[in-house]
Amino acid sequence: MGAAEKTAGADDRSDPPSPSLLALFRVVAHKKLVLLVRYPVNTATRFATLVILFGLILFGGEAVAGAAITDSLAGIIVGFFVWTMAIVAYQGLAWNITREAQWGTLERLFISPHGIGTVMLVKLVVNVLFSFLWAFATLLAMMALAREWLVVDPATVLPLLVLTVASISGLGLVFAGLALLYKRIENIFQLLQFAFVGLIAAPVGEVPALAVLPVSHGSYLLQEAMRDGTRLWEFAPGELGLLIATSAGYFLAGFAVFQIAQRRARKQGLLGQY
Amino acid sequence: MSETTPPAIDADGIEKRYDDGEDVVTAVDDVSLTIDPGEVVGLLGPNGAGKTTTIKCLLGLIVPDSGTIEIRGTDVAEHPERAHARVGAMLEGERNAYWRLTVRENLSFFAGLGGQQPAELRERHDRLLERLDLAGRADSVVNDLSTGMKQKVSLASTLARDVDVIFLDEPTLGLDVETALSLREEIRRLAESEDVAIVLTSHDMDVIEAVSDRVVILQDGRVIADDPVDRLGELFETQSFRVAIAQPVDELVRRRLDGLDLEVRGENDRLVIESQGTDSQTVYELMRLLEETGQELRDIDSVAPDLEEIFLELTDDASDARSDAQETARVVAGSGSKGGS
Repeated sequence: MGAAEKTAGADDRSDPPSPSLLALFRVVAHKKLVLLVRYPVNTATRFATLVILFGLILFGGEAVAGAAITDSLAGIIVGFFVWTMAIVAYQGLAWNITREAQWGTLERLFISPHGIGTVMLVKLVVNVLFSFLWAFATLLAMMALAREWLVVDPATVLPLLVLTVASISGLGLVFAGLALLYKRIENIFQLLQFAFVGLIAAPVGEVPALAVLPVSHGSYLLQEAMRDGTRLWEFAPGELGLLIATSAGYFLAGFAVFQIAQRRARKQGLLGQY
Repeated sequence: MSETTPPAIDADGIEKRYDDGEDVVTAVDDVSLTIDPGEVVGLLGPNGAGKTTTIKCLLGLIVPDSGTIEIRGTDVAEHPERAHARVGAMLEGERNAYWRLTVRENLSFFAGLGGQQPAELRERHDRLLERLDLAGRADSVVNDLSTGMKQKVSLASTLARDVDVIFLDEPTLGLDVETALSLREEIRRLAESEDVAIVLTSHDMDVIEAVSDRVVILQDGRVIADDPVDRLGELFETQSFRVAIAQPVDELVRRRLDGLDLEVRGENDRLVIESQGTDSQTVYELMRLLEETGQELRDIDSVAPDLEEIFLELTDDASDARSDAQETARVVAGSGSKGGS
């Protein structure tokens, strides 16, 4: 009897179990943690770079602009805090696709029984969790350096941060998709990281229309929460609603673009070509 | 009532064309394949024949323009996640693993990526590491290992979870003889003991010949042969003798040999006499001639063609046929245009 003629009843492999999402989450998080711990110099250098950059802005700005910087110190700290979160979350998606392609492991992500969309979403969640660690560590260092202590109410800051990062993640997914199709676009990635500065610093209070930009509205609300101590429930429902709508919109649009790009990459045979 | 198990892979009429704006290149042209569980199929072909594109189409990493592909009865285009539930692939050799993780961490990662809890697979991983001679380096970072060991880590990570079908693209590339042999043994063991269907490509014909039940030869995206290794050997068997003599033959003897309609060529002090379909009479005449002229025989071998010779024969034939067809088309087109002007 040929192998293909064996009865299904005799074959215990006929129904593969549903893949465990928890298993996927654990291995993605474990890999991230292992790499942070195994290469402490790399981790410390990255952290030090962020703090030194903040120090340069702070002390350099004080030397040049004096009181103007001191008066807006809280805003600078919150802005830098949001920027740190944004680049960690964004890099984890956009740069990661490029690196996986370079390492030769990208196609293995695509043949996961979870599907590449789910794999990317799990990576995103893990990235956001790790970006919290980075951002809060940097925040502490910045507050100590500036001797300016801000209000960090977790019940307010965490939901606002998650929503702010969601819109950045949407952008990360868009550029991850573009990296699948156009490969070497690292220069655009870098430019966008600087563009985040403009988005974070957008004067939403003066020009409300800027609230529809990614990150801008979240950054504005975080400034109010951390500088002025506004609690989550003290914000106008319209403000929160707009933040939820823009964050969900950018995130869903980014995910849709990524899915279109990955389908096109498979159609054009572009996966794994780097 | 018994229900039959579907083939491990069932591909029908796969076509893939690339349009670069000027030309349309057909990478895969009407390829159909059925591979049973436990079967090892070697995919051979010259560079650019479409081997990798075919494998990637089978995996759903490249979407074909037409044709259907099922893995264990699941349509890869319609339900890729379900089709990938028990599929492993090693497509980038030693680059197929994370070099900054340890060997065991790679196994855990890819088991989890495949949806299985690594902790539940600990024993499987231990056995795998043992069999691939990696147990002593289980906690080493992959980057610190030799190329051969990295290659084995890639294979181990491909097998880190339960799989029914695996695709191996050039699995022995860059391996030393000993490692390549252990990899061959592992491939056969997987097919025979675990009923895993294996599709592999390799430029090393010895590997393909040693491990494959069946060989599929591709050229210009088309299947030009799909036969068991033994059957290919029978198809291309030539009655071939290799006769070694003690000293070079003189011109007179050489002319008499030519008269026997044998292909005669010298290899150092050897005379190689070869002809397809030689009857016994010719062999007797050859022996008589060598005896009459006082040639001292050193050795006589009957030689069967190896897979490399069969492969070259087939791909040469296909190239010739294509050239003839193109030439005919050119002549027809030429006469057509003359007629029209």
